[in-house]
Amino acid sequence: MKQTFGEKCFQAANYAFLTAAALTMILPLLHLLAVSLSSPVAADSKEVFLWPVGFTMASWKHILQSSGLWQSFGVTVFITVAGTALSMLFSVLTAFPLSRKEFLIRKQVMLGIVITMIFNAPMIPFFLTVRELGMMNSIWALIIPGVIGTFNMVILRTFFMNLPKELDDTARIDGCHDFRILFQIYLPLSKPVLATVSLFYAVGYWNTFQRAVLFVRDPDLWPLQMKLRAYLTSPEELAQVNMFLDDYDFNTTTLKAATILFASVPIILVYPYLQKYFVKGSLLGSLKE
Amino acid sequence: MTELTETPARQPGVTVGKRVKKGYLRNMRKHWMLYVMILPGILFYIIFKYIPLGGSVIAFQNFQIMKGIWSSPWVGLDNFKFILTYQDFYNVLRNTALIAFYKLVVGFPAPILLALLFNEVRKMLAKRFLQSLFYLPHFLSWVVVGGIVFEVLASVGFVNAVRGWFGFEPILYMQQEQYFRPIVVLSSIWKEVGWGTIIYLAAISGVDPTQYEAAVMDGANKWKQAIYITLPALFPTILILFLLNIGNFLELGFDQVYNLLTPMTYSVGDIIETYVYRSGVLQGQYSVTTAIGLFQSVIGFILLWVFNRLAKKTGEGLW
Repeated sequence: MKQTFGEKCFQAANYAFLTAAALTMILPLLHLLAVSLSSPVAADSKEVFLWPVGFTMASWKHILQSSGLWQSFGVTVFITVAGTALSMLFSVLTAFPLSRKEFLIRKQVMLGIVITMIFNAPMIPFFLTVRELGMMNSIWALIIPGVIGTFNMVILRTFFMNLPKELDDTARIDGCHDFRILFQIYLPLSKPVLATVSLFYAVGYWNTFQRAVLFVRDPDLWPLQMKLRAYLTSPEELAQVNMFLDDYDFNTTTLKAATILFASVPIILVYPYLQKYFVKGSLLGSLKE
Repeated sequence: MTELTETPARQPGVTVGKRVKKGYLRNMRKHWMLYVMILPGILFYIIFKYIPLGGSVIAFQNFQIMKGIWSSPWVGLDNFKFILTYQDFYNVLRNTALIAFYKLVVGFPAPILLALLFNEVRKMLAKRFLQSLFYLPHFLSWVVVGGIVFEVLASVGFVNAVRGWFGFEPILYMQQEQYFRPIVVLSSIWKEVGWGTIIYLAAISGVDPTQYEAAVMDGANKWKQAIYITLPALFPTILILFLLNIGNFLELGFDQVYNLLTPMTYSVGDIIETYVYRSGVLQGQYSVTTAIGLFQSVIGFILLWVFNRLAKKTGEGLW
C-alpha cells in the first residue's frame, strides 16, 4: 500500500519522538558512567557529557575499596538469594491449592487475599507488628514481612489454572498425591513462569528500601539501596578523606556517580536476559478471570 | 492410598445438597495436603496483613508502647478531631492530593499515548529495541532514580550545563519549591511509562485486523483509526487500570517521594507516607499517625467505590 505524504510525515515524526524519548531512558546512565570515569575538575565544570574527560578510574577504585559498600552488597546478595528462594516456595505453596477445584475453600481464601490488596494496613500498625515479632534490626525483617507478593502469587496461580486438567487425572490414577503433583508435574511444566516470577522477586529484593528504612537501624545490616541513600545524602561518609588536598583524583560528584552505578550494575547486567521473560510474565498476571 | 480405592478426581467440588458439610470433611481428608500446603501462606496473610489491619484500632486509642494495644486507653475519635485541627495535616493532605491529582491527569494517559505511538511502529526490530530501552528504568530502585534526578538537575548537572550553553544562570531545581511537584510527576512517568505500555499493547494486539482494513476502505486515516477503533478497544483495559489506580489514589509511593524530598521542599512535597514515617516511626506518635493512615485508606476506598459505581453504568466495574 502506498503511503500518503501525511502518513510519511507522521511516521518520521513518530520515529523521531520515540527515539528521542527512548534515549532519555539510557542517556542519564551513560552520563553517570562518563562522570564516574572523569577527573573531578572536569566533572564539576560541566564538561562531561557522554564521554569521560580526564579519564581516571580513581572513583571506582575508591568505592570498590570501601568496606561499608561491600558489607551492604553482601546483605543485598543474601536477601536477594534467600528471599527469592523463600518467596518462591511460599508463593508456589499458596498458589497451587488456590488453583485447584479440589480445594473447596479456594474462593474464600482468595477473597481474603484480594481484600488485603484493597485495604492496605497503615504503616504504623505494620511497623508495630514487625517490631512485636522481634524482627527489628534483623536481616529477616527485610524478607519475611513481604515474602509473598500478592501480584506474583496470582501470576503463578493463573498459570497453574491454565495447565490441562488431564494431567492431574493421569497422575492421580498413577497414585500421585498433591505434593507430588505439584513438585513433579506442575513445577517442571511451569519453568517459564517460575523464571519470570523469580526475576520479579529478585529485582524487588535487590531494590528493597522501605522495609530497611522502617526496620533496620544498624548500618552493618543495611542493604545496598539504604547505604547508597546514606552516601548520596552525606557523601563525606563515602569519601572519608580530605578531598581538598590535590592528592585525590575523585570528588563527591564522581563518587556519587560511581556509587549509583554500583548499586544498579547487577540489574543492568542481567537486564538483557530478563527481557524475554518479563513481558510475558506481566501479561499472565493481568489476565482477568 | 485412598486415591486408589476412590474414583479418581471427579471434581469433588460438586458435592451437592444436604451432604455439603460431610463433603467438606471428606474433601479435607482426601486432600489434606492442599490444606497443609497453604498454611504458611495463610499465616503470612494473617500475621502481616490482617493483624496490622486490626492494629489500626490504635487510631482510636492513646497508644502507649509500654502498655501495648490491650491496655492502652481508648479515646474515641479524639485523634481524628486532633488531626482535623492540625495545620501539618492539612499541609500534608494538600501535598498528597495535589501530587496524586497531577499524577493521575498527566501520568495515567502517558502509557496509553505511548502505546498508540508504538502501535504505529511497523519495523519489529526497531520496536523491540525501543521498547526495551523504555522498560529499563522500571527495574531501577527509587534510590537510584532519585540519585540520577539529583545528579542531572544539580548545579553542575546536565540540565544546567545545557542552560549554560544559552547563557542562562544555573537553577537549583531540587531545592526550590515550585519545581518539586513537576519533578515528582515527571520522574514517575520516566520510570514507569514504558512498563505501563505492556498491558495496553497486549490489548491492542487483540484487535481484529479486519476492522482496520474495513476502516481504510471507508477512507479512515491513521488518526481516525486510532480514535474510532484502537481507543474504544482499549477502553475496558483503561477502565480497569483506572479503577485500580483510583483505589490507591493517595498512596503515592514512599520510596519515590522520600528519595526526592529535602528539608527545603517539605512544605510542598511532604506527603502522608513520608510524614507518617517521620512523626510516627521516628518520633513515636503512633496513634495520631495511624489515624492519618486510616484516613488515607478510607478516602481511597470511598473513591474506588464511587468510581466503580460510575464505571458500572458505562460498562463493567471491578466488582
